[in-house]
Amino acid sequence: MGSTPGKSVLSDDEAFSRYVLPEIDMLLRVALSRSRDPADAEDLVQDTLLRAYRGIGGFDGGYPRAWLLTIMRNTQINRGRRRRPTLLRNPDSSQRRHERQEALPSAEAIVVGEAFDATVEDAVARLPARFRHVVELVDIDGLSYREAADALGVPVGTVMSRLHRARHRIRTRLTAAGLVPGSKR
Amino acid sequence: MTLWRRHTVVDRPLTCREVGKLLQRYLDGEVDAPTIAKVAEHLEDCRRCGLEASIYREIKASLARHATVLPETTLARLRRFGELLATEGPADGSRDRGHDAGS
Repeated sequence: MGSTPGKSVLSDDEAFSRYVLPEIDMLLRVALSRSRDPADAEDLVQDTLLRAYRGIGGFDGGYPRAWLLTIMRNTQINRGRRRRPTLLRNPDSSQRRHERQEALPSAEAIVVGEAFDATVEDAVARLPARFRHVVELVDIDGLSYREAADALGVPVGTVMSRLHRARHRIRTRLTAAGLVPGSKR
Repeated sequence: MTLWRRHTVVDRPLTCREVGKLLQRYLDGEVDAPTIAKVAEHLEDCRRCGLEASIYREIKASLARHATVLPETTLARLRRFGELLATEGPADGSRDRGHDAGS
């Protein structure tokens, strides 16, 4: 995703359709990582879309995702909502389990795989919120470092630092559970 | 995005220490192509670093399995909301713009 030239020749409605509408999935995904309540997440995305609609005239066409994530962050701050993160947001875990079973070759591997996933999940739940938020945005929602930084309102270096420390903690718990060898670094 | 600004990619193989500093950004696709090649070369040759990389790949894969399945009905409502904004403006009839975004 890069700067897109030619925004000035678009009407505001055309610009909204071109830059904002394709990002609704991403906005909902990030909103769901910020709220346990789907209704809250939907409200947050609606408010973000409304603000984007009203602000599209001042948007230069570059990096729409970063622009929208900044709007969402500020919208959430203004709404005064507290973030209530959770790792397991999808109640349909049976489908994921089924997919894991198909990907793994043996009963032993299934048990190890499930233990691995359960340990990772537990480790994430135990992370300090500032670490957990970055893991959710980058590793679960698939944002880049830059996008996660925009979503959280912190420098990219902070995202990197928190992410790396979080993963190190997850790795340490996997080692303690006997699922991976210890780090020799 | 190249985040390895204080270093240049050198002709010699990277050391384990250098790869250790780059590994997370490498796994996240946040280094440039020459850096990817140098790290990949090291990971092929170094069993210890290769193992470390595979562990973090597994952690990332495990986390990715938690990715939210977006609720289709909610998504459909939001898409419809966005399309209505683009074609008819807000429901309150106001189409005033040029303020408040990002604030």
